[in-house]
Amino acid sequence: MFDVIIIGSGISGACIARECAKYQMNTLVLEKNIDVASETTLANSAIIHAGHDPLVGSLKAKFNIIGSRMYEQMSKELDIPYLKNGGMVVATNEEEIDHIKMLYDRGLANGLKKDEIALMEQAKVRQLEPNISDDVLMALYLPTTAITYPMEAAIANLENAMDNGVQLQTDAEVIDIKKNENYFEVYTSDKVYKTKYIINAAGLYAEKISDMVVPNYFKITPRRGEYLVLDKDVHVVSHVIYPVPSKKGKGILATPQYHGNLLLGPTSEFVQFDEMKQTSSKGLNDIKNNIKKSVKNIPFNKVIRTFAGSRPTPSTKDFIIEETMVKGFINVAGIESPGLSAAPAYAEYVVEELLVKNGDFKPNTSFNPIRKRVNRMNELSIDEKNILFKKNHTYGEIICRCEQVTKGEIIDSITRNAGAKTVVGVKHRTRAGAGRCQSGFCQVEVSKILAEYMHIPLENVLYQGKHSNIVKEKTKGETNERI
Amino acid sequence: MREYEAIVIGGGSAGLAASVALHNEGVTDILLLERDQELGGILNQCIHNGFGLKVFKEELTGPEYAERYKDIFVEKNIPYKTNTMVISCDKNRIVEYANKDEGFVKIKGKAIIMTTGCYERNAGAIQLPGDRPSGIITAGTAQKYLNMDGYLVGKKVFILGSGDIGLIMARRMTLEGAEVLGVAEIMPYSGGLNRNIVQCLDDYNIPLYLNHTITSIKGKDHIEQIVLQEVKDFIPIKGTEKTFDVDTLLLSIGLIPEQSLAEKAGIILHSKTKGPMVDESYQTNIDGIFACGNALHVHDLVDFVSTESERAGKAAAQYIKRSDKNVGLSVNTIANKGISYIVPQTIHPKSIEQNLELFLRVDGVYQDMDLVIKSGEKEIKRYKKRHLAPAEMERIIIPKQWLVDINHDLEISLEAMK
Ligand SMILES: Cc1cc2nc3c(=O)[nH]c(=O)nc-3n(C[C@H](O)[C@H](O)[C@H](O)COP(=O)(O)OP(=O)(O)OC[C@H]3O[C@@H](n4cnc5c(N)ncnc54)[C@H](O)[C@@H]3O)c2cc1C
Ligand SMILES: Cc1cc2nc3c(=O)[nH]c(=O)nc-3n(C[C@H](O)[C@H](O)[C@H](O)COP(=O)(O)OP(=O)(O)OC[C@H]3O[C@@H](n4cnc5c(N)ncnc54)[C@H](O)[C@@H]3O)c2cc1C
Repeated sequence: MFDVIIIGSGISGACIARECAKYQMNTLVLEKNIDVASETTLANSAIIHAGHDPLVGSLKAKFNIIGSRMYEQMSKELDIPYLKNGGMVVATNEEEIDHIKMLYDRGLANGLKKDEIALMEQAKVRQLEPNISDDVLMALYLPTTAITYPMEAAIANLENAMDNGVQLQTDAEVIDIKKNENYFEVYTSDKVYKTKYIINAAGLYAEKISDMVVPNYFKITPRRGEYLVLDKDVHVVSHVIYPVPSKKGKGILATPQYHGNLLLGPTSEFVQFDEMKQTSSKGLNDIKNNIKKSVKNIPFNKVIRTFAGSRPTPSTKDFIIEETMVKGFINVAGIESPGLSAAPAYAEYVVEELLVKNGDFKPNTSFNPIRKRVNRMNELSIDEKNILFKKNHTYGEIICRCEQVTKGEIIDSITRNAGAKTVVGVKHRTRAGAGRCQSGFCQVEVSKILAEYMHIPLENVLYQGKHSNIVKEKTKGETNERI
Repeated sequence: MREYEAIVIGGGSAGLAASVALHNEGVTDILLLERDQELGGILNQCIHNGFGLKVFKEELTGPEYAERYKDIFVEKNIPYKTNTMVISCDKNRIVEYANKDEGFVKIKGKAIIMTTGCYERNAGAIQLPGDRPSGIITAGTAQKYLNMDGYLVGKKVFILGSGDIGLIMARRMTLEGAEVLGVAEIMPYSGGLNRNIVQCLDDYNIPLYLNHTITSIKGKDHIEQIVLQEVKDFIPIKGTEKTFDVDTLLLSIGLIPEQSLAEKAGIILHSKTKGPMVDESYQTNIDGIFACGNALHVHDLVDFVSTESERAGKAAAQYIKRSDKNVGLSVNTIANKGISYIVPQTIHPKSIEQNLELFLRVDGVYQDMDLVIKSGEKEIKRYKKRHLAPAEMERIIIPKQWLVDINHDLEISLEAMK
């Protein structure tokens, strides 16, 4: 019998798992995909918003403000990429100036301090961001806005949770839940788990999970956002540049990514479930046309990638974070933006207020909050690299040329808790294959390392999804056999 | 820090030929660094015929061609390290490499020759709309899986782009029992050599769809379907959609010189070739750093890689011995009407040894044209050309005496045949 089963390993499930690990709770995370955090948490703008945007009094506002303040500490403990580069909401006409003044008031009402929000004149904006559009007249300046790497944030939380005793089962889709007298039965295709509490953190599928226990509680509609990614050598802006929000959301942003690429997007469009990750030529054109309003001199010929992610937009318009009328069944649903920013705060709330206050859980006195990320050899000095190499010679074998990732890093990413199980999983954890050639060179090598360390034949190595085997069959034909 | 006379980065046909040339010129303190487990570069995975017609006057497979150069290289006892990745090179010619025996090591070269080859353009560069499933793979990667490791990536294949590797893989996968449904090319002409169209597509009844591109990708985990559409001026024409059920989409949409090292050293790259700008000795703007082979500009014939690299090796040897830069007036080569690029980009007429080797590509398919070389008002040479295509690189050798007294840029263009 588990005390807690968390359904979903996105940023919500991951942060909650780590909070659970701080107590003596027998906790299990169930994730339907082969890898963790590969839905909404994988594909978004990666911004820790300051908290200027959500409506006053909403759960979004409350948890955004607290969450963004918790991030810095969390990123230190868990070695998560975090850069406080600041943000600007830029206004291009009188109406928009009125709007950012309104946002200024809203930010203060939400709890931002006076030195965390300011109206900035055109000249100063230009000075900070020379490539800001000529039409920009004024900006709302948000110095606490930060950028992170969301998938690693989720992985780090899960890994640390597991280091402290939480269990994880991937490739385990919850297909049914039965309520008994004082426990639940949670069904996956091949197993049944018993638990006292369930936390539904299933993102886009949270409605489906909730319906298994409390039908018709809320509706979730996917709202897709498409993006363009520009090459690393493109230095256009250093802050997060927001346009003035419209009814459709925050608009097309220009966001420097932690790893140096520039991200343009997202669009905003309600779609069907099978369209959630699709990009469209219309969406990609809309991005190019709309971004010009706020930023100039963008070299569109430097686009290296496109992608799309979808927000789980709830019928209730706000986060749904509460224990339902079915005791022990807790929804953490409708987590659209600013979910990433708010996650550490609502995770703490869920565990402290909804679990610990109700159940009888003692603190885990041996909880270790520290997790170290996979080494990044190419960020070290030659002496530091050689110290690692002397301990382990696989740190001298470079597999990915573009990002200079060594075999040692790849093995580490596969063998640690919440480790990589697919080629894409390795890429997200080590950046092997994330460079310019997009794994043209190293994919074969990475596949072989996965096969070796997962003890499976090469035919079974997956690219990403369940049926994404990279090679179909071994040939008998001629090969240029090596000695 | 150990200092070498010459460091060669990359052990493909370019690196091998350049090293041998250095050695022939008396430079023996060489170190060649190769990241793969053996020498030979891309040739090792090109197990088809069609190499060496110009240099050896016979038709060899890629590995056989590589073997010829490897033999000479080994015979000369030129020092090299395989399984060794170069991770940086700066403008002072300090090179850092790594391997599993020595770890991370810095060395310095009096001269450096960059022969790092090229990489394939991939899905990111062309923004394929639709799902992002697995099963979309560059033709060269599929070739590596098949020819080096013996694995077939798919059985129902469509190919986007008509570059040579895609064409060769169309035949290769057909022979391995896969069904190749077609090749789509957005341009009105193929991106690959004509002989490959004939031998790899026509002979196997694989359709080539010119003026076509793929406008949608479908597939939940793995690719399931593509939509092919005709284009006019790069815009898809409504109503021309054709759907194909596939399990693999191969991309053969172009090669780009691998220059991540060069950029960090401050080497200036050319906007068309995407490789370094060089002079007639294949020296870049950074003193003592040379480049040749696919790292300089993408070649379709290995024979040209070899001759170019021999020249680069020889010039580097001279540089090492003299250790001064080319002297005298320099002029640029200018790609005018009909020409897409010319290598080298600058020349020092006074420093040319016996003759000047120029490589160029045209910007479209042409029949019966004159290729005209001028300097100022002076016409230097006019060549009759029956057929010219972007996929087929032109090589021109100009004797030194034609160039000694020029003092204007060298302009090349296509004109109607006289
Ligand atoms: C375009 C876009 C831009 C955004 N930008 C930002 C931003 O800049 N800043 C910010 O703060 N927020 C942003 N967000 C919001 C943020 O990304 C989300 O709020 C957050 O990632 C949601 O995390 P989650 O864990 O709740 O859901 P998810 O990450 O979707 O995780 C849910 C998990 O549950 C699993 N699951 C589902 N069903 C089952 C089942 N039956 N059994 C087992 N497992 C199941 C899924 O596979 C998935 O792994 C953005 C969102 C989008 C789409
Ligand atoms: C699939 C294909 C088919 C072809 N078919 C034909 C044909 O039929 N006939 C013909 O004449 N020509 C053909 N060619 C063209 C010709 O073979 C190539 O242009 C030529 O072999 C390129 O040689 P190279 O040395 O410049 O590059 P490569 O052979 O690519 O060598 C570059 C070497 O540098 C190494 N390297 C790169 N970066 C580093 C680093 N950082 N550190 C250490 N080492 C590094 C690489 O591992 C590689 O070994 C074909 C080319 C391809 C790709």
